[in-house]
Amino acid sequence: MPHLLEMTFYQEKINHIKASCYSNDQQIQTIIETRQFIDTNFEKDLNLNVLSDVNSTSKYHLHRLFKRYYGLTPRQYLIDKRIEQSKKNLKKGMSVTETCFAVGFESLGSFSKLFKTKTGKSPSQFQKEQVSRSELDTNF
Amino acid sequence: MKVTLISIPVRDQEKALKFYTEKLGFIIKKDAPLGGGNRWITLVSPEWQDGPELLLEPAPNHFEPCKVFQDALMEAGIPYTQFDVDSVDEEYDRLLKLDVDFSVQPTEMGTVKFAVFNDTCGNNIQIVETL
Repeated sequence: MPHLLEMTFYQEKINHIKASCYSNDQQIQTIIETRQFIDTNFEKDLNLNVLSDVNSTSKYHLHRLFKRYYGLTPRQYLIDKRIEQSKKNLKKGMSVTETCFAVGFESLGSFSKLFKTKTGKSPSQFQKEQVSRSELDTNF
Repeated sequence: MKVTLISIPVRDQEKALKFYTEKLGFIIKKDAPLGGGNRWITLVSPEWQDGPELLLEPAPNHFEPCKVFQDALMEAGIPYTQFDVDSVDEEYDRLLKLDVDFSVQPTEMGTVKFAVFNDTCGNNIQIVETL
């Protein structure tokens, strides 16, 4: 078995982790599909009930599995996704209010607060910096 | 406190600079002399230029334990660090064409796909795609 002899320490460890933690293909596929659903529907009114209906899974089970395989809860993932998209919208020049609703937040207050927590800046500060940066690039 | 920098030990800064910019596609953020032919070189991702900087650190040439540690990681096939990519398969194909040597071909594990290549500067580097 020359292939096995050539295996590095790292590959051996990876195989071990794969066998001990990631052997349930069906479970993993369900969780990957859940993430993909969030990726393509993040602007909608998503919650655990909707996500569990999509995959016909109990919501508590889904919550636990998502956290187990991605390291964060579906809610945390959804918020990160919305903030990531809102940065793209703000960079393109969309207004803060429009951005807030376009990425699925229902209140401007909670959007601004979350945005500041995640990026260290308010949405309007972030947008101003992007504009001044692109002006610097062209004028300086 | 903020995380703004990660450092990678390299044996030859100029060679590393070429590999990380020309093959991997990073761009130079800072390049300042440090004396003795050493430089403070940091790189960033072109699509995230205000993100964390990657420091090409010549530590193995000046501090023997760093060299020993780096050699041990290399021999065991353990990546020194990892970078996120949109598609491991596409990066793998692109880098293969640039003669980059992979020790782990694209492999799925749970909710990620990854591959490991040699940066020719003393390190294994892992690229990862979230599935």
